[in-house]
Parts: sequence; structure tokens; C-alpha cells
Amino acid sequence: MIGVGKAKQYANVLDKPLSRGRQEVSLSAFAFLFSELVQYNQTQVDNIAELERRLEDAGYAVGARVLELLCHREKGNRRETRLLGILSFIHSTVWKVLFGKVADSLEKGTEHEDEYMISEKELLVNRFISVPKDMGAFNCGAFVAGIVKGVLDNAGFPAVVTAHFVPIEGQQRPRTTILIKFAEEVKQVCIV
Amino acid sequence: MIVCVAVVGHQNNPLYLQSFTEADDALKLHHIVHCSLDVIDERVNNPKRSAPTLNETFLGLLYPTENYKVYGYLTNTKVKFIMVTTDLDVKDADARNFFRKFHAAYVDAVSNPFHVPGKKIASRSFGVRVSTIVKSFGSGTTG
Repeated sequence: MIGVGKAKQYANVLDKPLSRGRQEVSLSAFAFLFSELVQYNQTQVDNIAELERRLEDAGYAVGARVLELLCHREKGNRRETRLLGILSFIHSTVWKVLFGKVADSLEKGTEHEDEYMISEKELLVNRFISVPKDMGAFNCGAFVAGIVKGVLDNAGFPAVVTAHFVPIEGQQRPRTTILIKFAEEVKQVCIV
Repeated sequence: MIVCVAVVGHQNNPLYLQSFTEADDALKLHHIVHCSLDVIDERVNNPKRSAPTLNETFLGLLYPTENYKVYGYLTNTKVKFIMVTTDLDVKDADARNFFRKFHAAYVDAVSNPFHVPGKKIASRSFGVRVSTIVKSFGSGTTG
């Protein structure tokens, strides 16, 4: 009668159901991996523009897969056909899954109709990186810009996405802005 | 009974095509899948109804041929899943369920870093999972 009334004991540890696991990844592991990625690419290229392009390509592959995954997991049965819809999807859902929080802000550009900006006080990927003076305006946020580009391209909204530093008064480190410039055909087709 | 499933990319390039019958009419099934792509395009570009149903991923029965029914599903990245079945009465919920599991298997296959988007899906485990899903579809519709 000893076994009665106890919770079910698994005879074999292999029979236990798998726990869902923690949904987080160690920040230091990612920081190391990312720094290796940047260093590896640095040895392969001759100039800054090429380095930025490589980081962007790496991010593009991530973005494509993140879009597939999130659309299956979170979005249920809906497809995004509107510009504002896909932008707010990136700004909240994608950012939440990748970085654990929503992006700081999403703004519409004032000079051009088809420019939008997502800003972040400090990009997670840039946290442990300091760019040497001789690299000029290089921003490792190009990786994140690549992710955004991957998501937009595969959702049917081709765009040019870049990352910029924007210096802010009263703050030591400049704010990072991801600038999204949509291609011509997007403006004509989509409803904002 | 499902006779064929197919995954077609956003430029209508085939990514995965698998038939589940012993009969030798694989070519005919390919042809049916190909024709159904036109139906999908027409549904997506000319919405019959207003906004609420515009964004649905599950497209439903695309068109019935003499002894097959073709169901379609469109993902957010314009990748299309097509399912050809000989069942006469397929419940909507069953078809949706099938596509949900199929979508999960597809997402896992695409997350493979060695998979090149736009090329055929070469993963054996994807094939195995699809076969399992197809087999369980048949038994789910009894009663």
C-alpha cells in the first residue's frame, strides 16, 4: 500500500515528460558568439562597408526564420498585409522574442513618406562593443538591421534597412536608430 | 486518404513534393498541384469578401476534381501548402489541424541553418514528420 496516494513515480528517467525548458539564452554566451562573428568577418573583408554588408546578410537569414517561426507561433491565422501592421509586429513581437522587451519607439520619418525609424536606447548586441575611432560610423547594429530586413522582405515588403547612431544630449552613449526605407512598389500597393 | 502534399515557395517554385499512393500517377498529382497554384493566386489577388477574411492563412477547399479534393494554406511569407485528398467528407477542423501540424514541421525544417531558402527541403526528418502527420490525418476523420 506504499505506492498508493503518491504522485506517479517514473521508473526510468527517460520516461519523464520533458519540461518546456527556460525560454532564455545566456547573454554572455550570445555576446561571445556575436563578438566572434564580428571578428571573423573583420578578417575576411577589406573595408567597413563590406563588413556592414556581411553582418546584414547574417541578420537577414535570422530574420527570415524568425518570421516563419513567429507567424506560426503567435499570429494564429492572420497574415499581415498592411505597412503599419508589419511595423508594429516587428516593433513589439519580434523585439520581445529576440531581446526580451519591446523596442523603445517607432516613428515615421518627416522628410520622406516611406521612411520609418525604430529607436533603442542601447541595442542588446552593442552592449559589450566599443567601436574604435578609426572605424568611423560603423555600427554592429547592422546585424539587427539585417534581421529587420529579413522579416520585411519575406513578408512581402521590400525595404532598405540601416542602423545609425544618433547622439542625444545629456547621455554619454548615443541612441541607436534603425532606419527603414521602403521600396517603391510597397508605397503603391500597401495601405498604411 | 491524403494522396499528395506539396510545399511551394513564394515564386511558385516547388520546395517539397511527396505523394502517398502506390499507384503510378505521381505525374497527374503534380499536375493537379500545379493547377491549384493558379487558384491560390486568383484567391489572393482578388478577394471576394472584405477585410476580415482577407488575411486568413487557411484557404480552404481550392477546387474539386473528379476524384480528388485540393486544400490550400498560405503562410505569411507567401509559401503555399497544398494537400490533395480522396476523402469525400473532410471536416474543416480536420483540414485546419492538419495544416497547423504541417506548418510546425515546415517551420522546424526551415530553421535549419543549413537550409537555403528557395531550395528544395532536403531534410529526411521533415519527410518522416510529414508521413506521420499524413497517417494520423486518416485515422482522425473516422466517426
